[in-house]
Amino acid sequence: MNDKRKMFIYGGIIGLIGALLLKFGNPGNMGICVACFYRDIAGALGLHRAEIVQYIRPEIIGFILGAFIISIANGDFKSRGGSSPLIRFFLGFFLVIGALVFLGCPLRMILRLANGDLNALIGLLGYLVGIFIGIQFLKRGYTLGRNIEQPKFSGYIMPIVAIVLLIFLIVKPDFIFFSEEGPGSMRAPILLSLILGMIVGGILQKSRICTAGSFRDIMLIKDYHFFWGILGIFVVNLIANLILNFDTFNLGFENQPVAHPVHIWNFMGMVLTGICSVLLGGCPVRQTILASEGDADAGITVLGITIGAAFAHNFGLASSPKGVTNNGKVAVIIGIIVVLVIAYSVVKEANLKNKQKKEGVRNA
Amino acid sequence: MDDVYCVVTFHVTQHALIFEKAMKEAQYPIKLMPVPRQVSSSCGTAAKIPCDKKEEILNLCKEKALPIEGFYRIEHKKKKYWF
Repeated sequence: MNDKRKMFIYGGIIGLIGALLLKFGNPGNMGICVACFYRDIAGALGLHRAEIVQYIRPEIIGFILGAFIISIANGDFKSRGGSSPLIRFFLGFFLVIGALVFLGCPLRMILRLANGDLNALIGLLGYLVGIFIGIQFLKRGYTLGRNIEQPKFSGYIMPIVAIVLLIFLIVKPDFIFFSEEGPGSMRAPILLSLILGMIVGGILQKSRICTAGSFRDIMLIKDYHFFWGILGIFVVNLIANLILNFDTFNLGFENQPVAHPVHIWNFMGMVLTGICSVLLGGCPVRQTILASEGDADAGITVLGITIGAAFAHNFGLASSPKGVTNNGKVAVIIGIIVVLVIAYSVVKEANLKNKQKKEGVRNA
Repeated sequence: MDDVYCVVTFHVTQHALIFEKAMKEAQYPIKLMPVPRQVSSSCGTAAKIPCDKKEEILNLCKEKALPIEGFYRIEHKKKKYWF
């Protein structure tokens, strides 16, 4: 089977699972949303107290365990880390703030679009602009540095966290919060979410599909390998929604579930998310998969995403169907400035080091 | 897709772009692509090069001090693995 078709099928399975999770109870156009799901988990752990978005999403547990198992099975699991962890934490932090102003990670953006929500088209434009900006830094030598081997146990931490979350989800101790209304109360059955999540995790580990990587490769090296996966997600999700979720299919900008029609901030939020995704080397779902196969840097990024999501609600930054908050607008602007300063300083330092190295060789 | 091809990998994306420019100037038929799945589970950028030009290209890299990470020979097996 040729690579394009294989990637399309891998993506297609994820698109189908997105439609199934929507059908079986997840919130509107949120069959899968990595940013929203980490936000829900942050809420369930009491890191924020927005009562309508608190739930330990079994899909995330599934992504981690599925990717972990497949990476062990095919020998990809490798405990590694040490590549600018604190920068990655804050890139993850601001990535999710952009995503929660838009209301969705890049993967949900595709699923929203595939159920007729045209606001996601504005988000996609912003995401592409963000990726384009990020690429300008890559071209000029941006790098967060090489990772090195870490103690093996480091790689097992994320799967262990996933197991602990699963125990909390099943046992429901008093200190875990579960929404009784709103998006946090809308859930596909636990076992179904967990199993489908594991399939998604396994496929993403195997295929390496990444929303940011696919658009980055098109712009940077004119390669469409990963884009076929994204196309698979969109096309199959669209078809599956028309069959399974036809009553929710709504083409237009208004009255979309868990979304708002404020174009400029849908755009700007995803610009921020796009820049962060390229600077991190992957969108939130890709970070989750890497974290599950032993990458401690991606693990730190996931923590940044979770904490950022908690702050997004504590500080009133996250949007809602009512619209965008003033705090959210300010946070997106600050976020864009901060990540550009980070990227600029990294590039400047890298070039300075290169120059010194070359001069050193010349003088030798 | 060819059954056998070779790739050069890089630590930094910019190095791939510098490599591409240098190789095009030297008129080697190379193409940038995502790192093949067989090499790594990462999704960085690699350069596909003809295997018979390996020595020439590696010498040119040394001469011009082009930073590269590794060199791999990729063979597509007939058997298809799904998982």
